[in-house]
Amino acid sequence: MEIEIEEAINEILESVDVDRETVEKDLRKFLEYGVPLEHAKEAVINKYGSVVKEKKLKDVRVNERNICVVAKILAIDEREVEVRGERRKIYRGLLGDETAVLPFTAWKDFGLQKGDVIKIRNASSSEWEGQPRLSLSEWSEVEKVDYEIDLVKRVPKKYNLIDLKPGLSNVEARGKILSIEERVVSIGGEERKVFSGIIADETAKVRFTSWHDFGLKEGDVIKIKGGYVRKWRGAPQLIFDENSEVEKMDEEVIMEEIVVPLYKVVEAGGGISLTIQGVILDVRKDSGIIFRCPKCNRRIRNGVCEEDGEVEGVADLRIRALLDDGTGAVDVIFNREISEKLLGKNMEEYLRIAKEAMDYSIVYEEIFDKLAGKPIKVKGDSMPSDFIVTIFASHAEMAEIDEKKEAEELLMQLEG
Amino acid sequence: MREPAWRIFAAEYNDASHVIQSKEEKAPKYVITPLGAKVNRLFIVGVLTDIEEIGAEGIRRRARISDPTGIHVVYAEAFKPEIASILADMPIPSYIAIVGKARIYEPEEGVLYLSARAEMAKEVSIKERNYWIIEACRSMLIRINAIRDAMNMKSPTASQLKELGYPPLVAEGVAEALKIYKDIDLHHYEIMAREALSFITSARKEIRQNYEEEEQKLLKIIEELQGEEGAAWDAVIGKAGEEGIERSIVEEVIASLMEKGQIYEPQLGKLKVV
Repeated sequence: MEIEIEEAINEILESVDVDRETVEKDLRKFLEYGVPLEHAKEAVINKYGSVVKEKKLKDVRVNERNICVVAKILAIDEREVEVRGERRKIYRGLLGDETAVLPFTAWKDFGLQKGDVIKIRNASSSEWEGQPRLSLSEWSEVEKVDYEIDLVKRVPKKYNLIDLKPGLSNVEARGKILSIEERVVSIGGEERKVFSGIIADETAKVRFTSWHDFGLKEGDVIKIKGGYVRKWRGAPQLIFDENSEVEKMDEEVIMEEIVVPLYKVVEAGGGISLTIQGVILDVRKDSGIIFRCPKCNRRIRNGVCEEDGEVEGVADLRIRALLDDGTGAVDVIFNREISEKLLGKNMEEYLRIAKEAMDYSIVYEEIFDKLAGKPIKVKGDSMPSDFIVTIFASHAEMAEIDEKKEAEELLMQLEG
Repeated sequence: MREPAWRIFAAEYNDASHVIQSKEEKAPKYVITPLGAKVNRLFIVGVLTDIEEIGAEGIRRRARISDPTGIHVVYAEAFKPEIASILADMPIPSYIAIVGKARIYEPEEGVLYLSARAEMAKEVSIKERNYWIIEACRSMLIRINAIRDAMNMKSPTASQLKELGYPPLVAEGVAEALKIYKDIDLHHYEIMAREALSFITSARKEIRQNYEEEEQKLLKIIEELQGEEGAAWDAVIGKAGEEGIERSIVEEVIASLMEKGQIYEPQLGKLKVV
């Protein structure tokens, strides 16, 4: 019992601003009256009113309420989400103090800026990626303070490029620069050089942007410490700047084609030069023969382009299919050339068939028939899309497997 | 996020006795199987063995799809008439692929009937069926490994399993399964996987052929060799091989003769004509 009382006292002290002796005296009095410990604890807290004490970020646990911290905003992003059918803006980012860095979500606009040091009252926490995430709600109070605070020195976490997903920060990654180009952008009237290109390791290719001139050139193999990841053009992008460390490595990167499980593609929100494999579980209804505007190339309906009015449409063949590998699902778009290859018929033949039948849906039915339920291997880049990660295929082939060999390999694994 | 379609054997799916749903509005329901699959959507490929009209309107249909481990029950609902009509036109038996949502019927506490509500249906060939068996086995083995790893942890959590490289849904499903299922019999499921794979490795013919000729030959061979104690299995296979009958077919024909009651096993490894 004594141990439990000790624990209870410690817990009470976390939420009230009274000395230990007083708390102990009060608590024991309640217990003498036969009040159960749990109730006695609450009664003491209620007596003094819960004065919430400031915490360090490292002491924040998952699923806590009424959290008070002073921290610096290290990164902040605005995004729109749908909550109960209503679109609203939320803010996500990172908070740091001298003990830790934690992600946060603000459910309303507190006017926060990167670099602000703020005091937060009445925040709560939930779990995200195995660590606590602070949540600032309608009922939280946020106040800017005018002093600086120290930040914890964080060891960056190592990632393979395939595991980079938007929102990560303090990333360590390594790869070979496949292409790089320089451009000048003006930020707040100030001209800055930025370097963008593609970096690759054994697992993936990723777009990158460097906000600092590290003297990088094509073919360099580099290690980046302290980068972060944002979404750009429907794919993750690795970003680093003057606060990051970039080191040239004396080694080669050998790239092999790896089939990426689709859950990783979904988690990353896309990617470039992806190789994926799955079964086509649906063919979207907008697949088949479509007509495009000769001026803007947009799809037109009933001879009318939204942009250019009445036009003579140009026929095109395209397929949008749902690809699923059991771990995740993406949409894949096949252009005319790839579609013709997969279907084994060219567009002219389909046009003729459709005209004979006086029905374009016959083309859809044939596509469904030929592709649905079949395994397929696809290479391509993701493109921006709202609902589901969408891969624009640069190459596709029906997947053939040696079923007996695969079955025997699995049997070997089972013998283990 | 679109829920992925689990390739899952009927036996494992039907063994599930637990459903979870988070508190958020319109949150999806998941069936948690004993091996930790966290299923909201399924992809099933198997043999269509039966189809019946249900309900007064006769638009809904219930199909049974057989895989190497058991039967998946699939519903085509009234709001998906195109699926019901695809099913109605399909020959029995035939290979069929179904994408469906987990359909959970719990008439009373503790009684759970699981099936699938079809979103897509299509006739396929044995090639797609075999591919599916391989995918279903592979996915099952990943979960068996995840359960083994989790059993070695003091208090396994989804995030620890993710750290080990398991896909998030597997990590979450396995952590959940360990909480609710006591004494998960991994061996039972390993045997199931092995049997399913033998469907592919033992080179069964596409459609069960008529083996009448082979049956007659084998009856003769067994009769010749049986003596008092019965013909030794190996000797029968050897002799049949000499007569040009493949081992896999011999096994199949022996099984079918036993089923028909024309031969029996007086002791293990010996065969005798009735």
